[in-house]
Amino acid sequence: MTTAQERSDLLEKIGLGTQNKAALGRVLGTGNIAQATEKDDGRMQATIRINPDELCFDPQILVMPHGGDIEIELINDDQNTHCALLPSNGDRKFIWLVNHSRGRATLNLDGPGYYWFSSPTGNDEGRGLTGAIVALGDVPPEARLDRPDQPRP
Amino acid sequence: MTVEYVDAGEAVNQATLNYKTPGADIAPPVLRDLTYERILNARSEPQNWLTYYGAYDGQRYSPLDQINTENVKRIGPAWVFQAGMTGIIAGASTYSFEAAPVVVDGVMFLSGWDGWLWALDAKTGTEIWRYKHAIPYDVSLCCGNVNRGVAVAQGKVFFVTANAHVLAIDATNGKRVWDKTYGDVRAGESATVAPLVVKNMVIVGSSGGEFGVRGHLDAFDLETGEHAWRCYTVPKPGEPGSETWPSDGEAWARGGANCWVTGTFDAETNLLYVGTGNPAPDFDGEVREGDNLYTDSIIAVDVDSGQIRWHYQCTPHDLWDYDSIGECILFESEGRKLLGHFDKNGYFFVLDRTDGALVQVTPFVDRIDWGAITRDGKVTPKKYPEKEGEPVHFYPGPAGAKEWTHAAYSPKTELFYVPVQDVGATATRRRREFKESIPYWGAGVQVDLDDMTGSVSAFDANGEEKWRWRNELPMCASVLATGGDLVFAGEPSGEFNALDARTGELLWQFQCGSGHHSSPTTYSVDGRQYIAVPVGWGGWAEGFLPGMLGAGHGSALLVFALPES
Repeated sequence: MTTAQERSDLLEKIGLGTQNKAALGRVLGTGNIAQATEKDDGRMQATIRINPDELCFDPQILVMPHGGDIEIELINDDQNTHCALLPSNGDRKFIWLVNHSRGRATLNLDGPGYYWFSSPTGNDEGRGLTGAIVALGDVPPEARLDRPDQPRP
Repeated sequence: MTVEYVDAGEAVNQATLNYKTPGADIAPPVLRDLTYERILNARSEPQNWLTYYGAYDGQRYSPLDQINTENVKRIGPAWVFQAGMTGIIAGASTYSFEAAPVVVDGVMFLSGWDGWLWALDAKTGTEIWRYKHAIPYDVSLCCGNVNRGVAVAQGKVFFVTANAHVLAIDATNGKRVWDKTYGDVRAGESATVAPLVVKNMVIVGSSGGEFGVRGHLDAFDLETGEHAWRCYTVPKPGEPGSETWPSDGEAWARGGANCWVTGTFDAETNLLYVGTGNPAPDFDGEVREGDNLYTDSIIAVDVDSGQIRWHYQCTPHDLWDYDSIGECILFESEGRKLLGHFDKNGYFFVLDRTDGALVQVTPFVDRIDWGAITRDGKVTPKKYPEKEGEPVHFYPGPAGAKEWTHAAYSPKTELFYVPVQDVGATATRRRREFKESIPYWGAGVQVDLDDMTGSVSAFDANGEEKWRWRNELPMCASVLATGGDLVFAGEPSGEFNALDARTGELLWQFQCGSGHHSSPTTYSVDGRQYIAVPVGWGGWAEGFLPGMLGAGHGSALLVFALPES
């Protein structure tokens, strides 16, 4: 058995965070985490890259401080073509990312909760190009239940 | 040397990658003049299916009779809309197509799982526009990623999302007009209900009864989304009904009673008739002694104020997960304004809808042993999870003798048609501490994998069974009654059936390729009648039919009609 503290060491030792080492691809959830920055007007921004031969979004987990609008710069530094299908209220956003390309996506997401995004081509999703966008925060006060505070896990 | 990046541009809406001829992504303004008065008189325009049940009375009846007992054997598929699934979604293994298609003057408005909403050409099935709300992957869903439909009025389509938003969408272009949050996903609340438009309001209820929340109805202004009222279905200490909860502790605050199925409405009484859900924890009654109002009840709510005017509790102090969310069908008999309700507990209730007085109650399924209800409405529990760790088997199981899926009533035959599930379950009480957003059942539950059966059964208003069409499997989808003296009913194994409304004889059948767990509707365009049925097995199958958990999914809307020639 391993513990949380040993997680990164064991991932590296076994080779779960690398293409074609332990598994065939990179196991989901082994990528980096980053926080979006918030501008004065409340809109958020972040950059997500695809590094060469990793088949993993960097960051794989992007954290928004709250729900709302976020502008994401998407950079494909890989030597293969990928794409991104991203969640957004109204419609999902799609972008082709040919080798060595850079594009943008503007998303609107509710908080709290987390959302999947991926590269839906071939089996990019299974190889590791699947990520999560996490929106922190709470629902508006008027939407909450009229009851005393309750215990949480 | 630095190589410049290729400019990949701005990410586009996925819908733009679904080719349409120029201008074909705008729907004609069929909802611009759709007023409350038109919905009130919905049956006077039978070419349309204007509201969730077709009309405020909840009868799920259409006077259309082009397709009838004589010619139904000739109908076939007119078109199919394949929704499919892309990417990774909440409840990826349990999503289900549960909607009732709404149709107005040739345009169909249809909701799917995971925040999907489509406007389709009702004659051809061609997508006009789509709206997709982003649904968190981690939202609490007891029973799959599902949605039961839309409401339409005054140029807008209204629907709810799994993360408890209610949205108003422009019916011509699919753009969001307003968006209000009415539930707390951190508390385990969600939303699955088809909204109901009444007067200048859109009315919605909350889901989450398996997570220890406090149920509520909410009303919002159609135009602005301004909140009009909230009606809690579990009273706070000191409010009427609070005496039915323990006086100490906070059992009431986690009491459930969610209104996750659409209500019906009578303009003369000015009352909404809404069924409420189970108490929480579902199976551990010791932590919530008392009748637990207004769980498992029919409540009559003043539509202007949101105040409960009367209630009738079908299963006091429920220990079997017997939500009373089933539809309240409004009808008249011998000059009385009545309400018919098939409850999960296996009994068919008829109430006076002016005051909630019981008119008659009778069982509608063969096997009931959880308890008994006498003709005068006295409830006596017999078998229920009582001792910690001791399994107890009972009929019907927690999905009920009829699940949320709907019965129908034909004013022409004066018969009710009910999809029946005759299947039991075993519950073993396991007490647990309450924690917000964590399932709060108070038992381990296993629904029977065999020894099950089902039917579509026809009853008159006195509770007398007139015919029964028997099926090997429980019937888990809503039925539809038409002026052609037909009853349409889908099976869990994929067959879509037309029965003779007067005899129950099977007249036509089509294998749709996946199980039915939705609400078929009917409409006509240019004089041709269509029958529309969303198909796609899933949802809470482990609750209503675990013997079919291994069946394939599906996500198609099938539409049938007579040959054009």
